[in-house]
Parts: sequence; structure tokens; C-alpha cells
Amino acid sequence: MAELTYREAVADGIAQEMERDPNVVFLGEDIGKAGGVFKATVGLYDQFGPDRVRDTPISEQAILGAAMGAAMTGLKPIAEIMFSDFLAVCWDIVANQIAKSRYMTDGQVNVPLVIRTANGGGARFGAQHSQSVENWSMMIPGLKVVAPSTPRDVKGLLAAAVRDPDPVMFFEQKSLYPVKGEIPDGECIEELGKAKVVREGSDVTIVALAAMVPRAVEAADRLKTEANISVGVIDLRSLVPLDTQTIFKEVEKTSRLITVEENPRLCGWGAEVSSIVSEELFWNLDMPIVRVTTPHIPLPSADELEDIAIPSVEKIFQTVLRSVD
Amino acid sequence: MDIIMPQLGETVAEGTLTVWHKSEGDDVVTNELLFEIGTDKVEMEVPAPVSGKLEKIFVKAGETVEVGAVLGRINSGDASNDDQSSEESEKSPSSSPNNLAEKQYKSNLSLSDHLSPAVRRLIAEHKLDSSKINGTGRDGRIKKSDVLEYMNANKNSLHELSSGSQNADEPKFIDGKSIIPFSRIRQVTAEHMVRSKTISPHVNQGIEVDFSKVDSARKSISSDWKEREGFSLTYLPFIIKALCGALADFPNLNSHIEENNLIVFKDVQLAVAVDLGLEGLVTPVIRDISSLSVTEIARSVSSIARLARKGSLKPEDFKGGTYTVTNNGALGTLYTTPIINQPQVGVLSVDGVAKRPIVVDRDGEDNIVVRPIGVITQAFDHRAIDGAYSAAFLKRLKDIIENHDWTSLLS
Repeated sequence: MAELTYREAVADGIAQEMERDPNVVFLGEDIGKAGGVFKATVGLYDQFGPDRVRDTPISEQAILGAAMGAAMTGLKPIAEIMFSDFLAVCWDIVANQIAKSRYMTDGQVNVPLVIRTANGGGARFGAQHSQSVENWSMMIPGLKVVAPSTPRDVKGLLAAAVRDPDPVMFFEQKSLYPVKGEIPDGECIEELGKAKVVREGSDVTIVALAAMVPRAVEAADRLKTEANISVGVIDLRSLVPLDTQTIFKEVEKTSRLITVEENPRLCGWGAEVSSIVSEELFWNLDMPIVRVTTPHIPLPSADELEDIAIPSVEKIFQTVLRSVD
Repeated sequence: MDIIMPQLGETVAEGTLTVWHKSEGDDVVTNELLFEIGTDKVEMEVPAPVSGKLEKIFVKAGETVEVGAVLGRINSGDASNDDQSSEESEKSPSSSPNNLAEKQYKSNLSLSDHLSPAVRRLIAEHKLDSSKINGTGRDGRIKKSDVLEYMNANKNSLHELSSGSQNADEPKFIDGKSIIPFSRIRQVTAEHMVRSKTISPHVNQGIEVDFSKVDSARKSISSDWKEREGFSLTYLPFIIKALCGALADFPNLNSHIEENNLIVFKDVQLAVAVDLGLEGLVTPVIRDISSLSVTEIARSVSSIARLARKGSLKPEDFKGGTYTVTNNGALGTLYTTPIINQPQVGVLSVDGVAKRPIVVDRDGEDNIVVRPIGVITQAFDHRAIDGAYSAAFLKRLKDIIENHDWTSLLS
């Protein structure tokens, strides 16, 4: 067992895959010589050299266009989009080309790539550099969507993403980069599309993703000691494929569901989960499904305002107290 | 509330109050222009943060003070204005900064009578009475755990906590009552029965019949009849065969009433009442029954009853009956007064056949003998026919049953 930070786990995961498979290549802005603007890819350039680890110009379309071409012709590229907000610049390549090629060519042209990107707020980067956009990817058929919350899941899910024959959107939450966690020695591989029950509970189920998971867990622990409410927490880990079975199993037990997301209010992933559970488990519910989300605003730059906007431990705590009777 | 020198830039440590737009003692309104300040970098207009009276001015126009210095005071009339900001953060969480950005979930409705889907489902599945369950949720509503607790506490009176529908053989009594909703067929049967009785003036007539000859025929059949055919040979097929003969002689009973007309049918389409347990009664029709032999009649009755109970019959199988027979005799009843199957005019009830002592005339002398006797009752619609006609019909029926050579008919 080793203790690594979330950002170290990124480099560790990429290294593990690049060592295993010579076809895995890595490209992005400042990811090589500089080790990444978030220092998430330190050491890869030294280990694998400039052929396999490429610093690109500042052009998201070029990065993804190149990655797509490489993937279509036999390589297994990992492409970095520095801030997930920038996906909007190259979204046509993601949504219309990468996501649809396998389908439209009946499997003749496949795109086995991973797009990893720094997602989410809390770092005071302002409205255009703090968005959580995993829900954008969830909506496009043909993409797999992953958002780990722990260093172990970063490494294991990144490995699974690289080995997956289809395009995978890999969302690293910026605010989690410094978080430490244990990673087992040896090969680390997790399973895409499998959620994890990180807290067992009998009164209410919280479904959370990425940076919201540790906050939900902290709220759950507080709710147990301060209000004697037994709160279960599910770390979704993947949005596509979505592990509905785990969600159903837990909600059948508790009959109450609260989702916690960093997406803005409208059409965040919480809306989808809420809708699915309402439809499939309507007759099991003892209270309406509640979504805790960021309000539907561009995120503020000011410290206090950003902290108010993104769901905090306190906000989750209060929501549970208010909703669960 | 204290008016303080604001921070005008990260590196600015002091500012000059250049102009007061209000004087001591003036009333001010929130956001009204109060004063202006200037630093070496910037000049700014500052609005009043609250409404009230500008009670005191400490710093005059033209003075330079540190950032944060108190410039004046507005009296809003609230006690402890100065502590307003700190008080807010200590107040209940509903007004804490964390909730400023999002409109709060506030429910104005009381949940006391609301039953959530989970609760409704449990109540329906276990046929509970919600008025008996104690609610400990918000506004006193019944929550899922309340139902589960209630069920647990009342385990014995609720029998087993099965999730299936109620079994007719094991009624679950709650407060001395077991509520069994009518099945669809039961409802249809009920509706028909009421309607028939309101349409037809029913008259019931019964006649005793000696089944000796029928019994001889029944005894004459081979021992493997039941095994071969799959059912026992009862009195019913014989009675039905005799019925066909009697109706041929008394055709007005093989008819429908439509408005003020009697529609007499040439052929007998016999409806046979089949009991579907507690679900209700249906009367599928055996077509052109007069052409069938006793054995064929027996087979038809058995098969149609089986199909009816399986639910395999179609709507047309129930249409077009001209007369109905209902067999109630299996449990030894004396007689039954059946209800006419609209729009027919007659229905025959066959009841129990049992050994009874009767008087027969032997060479002019009365003798008591033991014979299998059963009562056959006809209910007829007195609009269509009268008692004499019905009585003559029953006499004919009795004669056929008592005198026919049934044994040879079966061979």
C-alpha cells in the first residue's frame, strides 16, 4: 500500500497503462515538460519520452482531432483538455465524431481514447474555469463518463478507461487534487459503471459524485452523531454506464433519496438519477427525491460566494435534516 | 449601525471622506447616496447601508482616516444594530450564508394526511386501516417506518404478512370484518340477477321425479366410464335429454321475450349454469343439444364446465341461449328457486336425488317402496306463460325421465 495524492494517482495511472501497452500515448497542453498545470502528470515525459508524451499547441480542436485520428488508426491515446470548460471549444469533435464513429461505421472505425480533464470549482478560477460539465458528456450517446473521488479510483478507473474500447470522458475534480489516499501496490484496475457504497445507512440514501462524495460522507457522519439519522452514501464513480442497480438496492432499503452534485441546477446528473428512481421505485418512496445542486448561475470568483454556491457539508447536512422526518 | 471607511483596494490603507450628502439628524433611506470618499487611486460614492436617522457624524468632510474607522452612525430604530451581522450568522441555519444563493425548499402544506407511495403500497398490500396507524413523521404524517412498526405490533391479528391478494379460503379479519371486493364476474353476475328479478315476474313450480330407471342406466355403464371419460355420469345428462323432449312439446318455454313479443326458437340452445367458486356464475351455451345423445350431452357439459372454469371461453360461447338448466343437486338440496337468464322465459333447477319411501299402487293396493326421488323446479316468466302450461311441461318432463328406456339409450 502506498499513500498518494489524487494528482499523483493520475500520473501513476497513466504510467501504469503506458508501461503495459506501447500503443498508449499521451498528449495535451503543458502535460509533458511542465508536468501539467495542476502537476498531475509529473514524470511521464521523463519516463516515456517526447514521442509518446506530447506537449501540444493551445488548440483543443487540434488535441482532440489528433487523438481521434490516432485512436482510429490503432493507438490508444490519452488526451488532456486542461480545463473541462474548454470542452466546449472542441465539442463538435467529441459529440459528433468521437461519440458516433463506431455506430455510424458499424464498428469499422473505433475510437478507443480517453479524454481526461480538470473539472469543477472551489479553486477560485472564476466562471469560465470552474464548471462541472460531466453532465454535458452524460447526455451524448456513445460516450462513457467517469468521475472518481479518491486516488485509488483515479488510478483504477483511469486504467479501466484506457483499456475500454470506447471513448471515455475522465473528469478529475480540481478541488480533489491534493487529497491523499491509499493505493494498493501492483496493478490497480477498477470497473467502469460500478458505483460504490461508501457509507451504509438505513434512513436515507445520498448519491454523490466526485468532490461531493467526501462532503456527503462528512455530512453523513455528522448526521449520525448530531441527529441520529442513519445516512447511506453512494459514490457513483461513473455516470455512463450508470449503476442503477446499486442505487435501487439502497433506495429500496431507505425509501429516501437525495442527490448531491456540483452541476448547476438544470439538467445536472442528479435530475437524471432522480427521474430514473421516480419512475422505477415510485411505490418505494417515502418522501420526494431532493437534489442538492449548485444554483443555476455562472460560478463566482469571490471566495465566499463560490463557497456559498457549491454544495457544502453544511448545506448537505441541512438538506437532510429538513427533508427527512 | 456604524458607518465605516470601506476598503477600496487591496493596498489602500486609508481614505479621505470628501463630501457628506446628508447632515446629522437627517433621515436616510437604504441605498440613498450618503457620502463620497477618495483615495490616491479612486473616488467613490457610498450609499446608506440601512434606513434610519443619521444620528452622528464622527468624521467631517476633508478628513483622512484609516480603512475601517467609524465615520458616523445611523439609528434604524432596531435594538442592537451593531451586532446585526454577527447575530445573523448565529441565527438558525435557514438564514445562514449557505442558503442565500438558492431559494429554500419551504412547504406550506401540512403533510399530516399525506400518504407517500411507499406507505400507500404497504397499506394496500396488507389491507391495513390507515386510521389505526400512528404517524410520527412531519406534521404527524404516517411514514413507512410507522407502518412497519404497526404491522409488527399487530402481527397476530393481521395473520401472516403476505404480500399476495386475499385468499378466499382464509379471510383476514380486522375488527371482526373481512372485506372481499367483488371480482368482475361476481359484479356482472350480481347485476344480472337484480335486473332479471326486476324484469320477470318469477313463478316457481316443482315436481317430484322418480329416478329409478335413470339409476338402472347409470349402474349399467362400464366400471371404467369415469376413467375413460374423465368425469362421473350424473343425473344431469339424462334430465337434459328429457328436457329436450319436453321442450319440443312445450315450445313456448324455449323462447325469448322481446318487448311484447314471444320469440319462440325451433332448436334448443341450452345454457348450463357453471359455478366458478366464489367468483360468480356463468352460463355457457351447448348448441343444438337435441341432436346429442346422453353420452354426448354428458361430455359437452363436462367440457364446457371445465373450459368455463379455466377462463377459456369466448363471449360468443355465452350468447344465444334459449333455456337454462342449473344443477344444484350435488349437495342434496331439496329444491331451488332459480333466477331466469334474461331474455329467456324459463330456467330449470335440478336438486338432490335421495332414497325416499313413496307409495305405489300394486294391483289396486297401496305399497310403500324405496325409490330415488328428486325435486325438479322450474322458474318461469309469468308474462310469457301461465301455471297450467308450466305444470303440463313439468309433467311431460317427469314422464320422460321416469319411463324412458335409458339403459338402451346409453349402450
